[in-house]
Amino acid sequence: MGCDIVTVSTDTQFVHLAWRNGEKELAKVQYPMASDPTGKVSRMFGVYNEDNGLDLRGTFIINPEGVLMNAELNWYNIGRNIDELLRKFKANIYVSRKTNEVCPSKWKDDGDKTLVNPGAKMVGKVHEALAG
Amino acid sequence: MSECCGGLKLGQKVPMFELDTYEPTKGDFGKFRLEDQIKNKRWTILFFYPADFTFV
Repeated sequence: MGCDIVTVSTDTQFVHLAWRNGEKELAKVQYPMASDPTGKVSRMFGVYNEDNGLDLRGTFIINPEGVLMNAELNWYNIGRNIDELLRKFKANIYVSRKTNEVCPSKWKDDGDKTLVNPGAKMVGKVHEALAG
Repeated sequence: MSECCGGLKLGQKVPMFELDTYEPTKGDFGKFRLEDQIKNKRWTILFFYPADFTFV
């Protein structure tokens, strides 16, 4: 199942070009760098800061049907953890394929323990379900 | 809070939108359209950040 990562800031696409080609830390960046100078899309996602015209650190996962599945929002001074983003993305893929399973907090990748058919019988017995 | 994101809710269909892009693989400008993602059955991760040429 394919996924596209797109970064977005209120800088223009020209600034993205200059930054991508000037900053060696970005040499491996292959994904599209999107531009939202009017803040129209940023406002829709609730990340636009009216006071300074800069987007907050927001990450959104949208499924192939166009439904918003996850949102993470940080203030400017804390970066987002990419391992966690990958974990959530993989979990989304997994549960979209296995609709009778859910990924608990320790789930990191295919093969890790999931809860299968959570329902009345599992209520109050999650410990046993995870151990079994 | 049922809303965490301005106008959007989790589980909601995201309204179609389009953004101008710079695409490093092509070395050229392009367009990102959510409509194309859906047409091509692709997942999308949108990663918003404050500004180019800054640090975190």
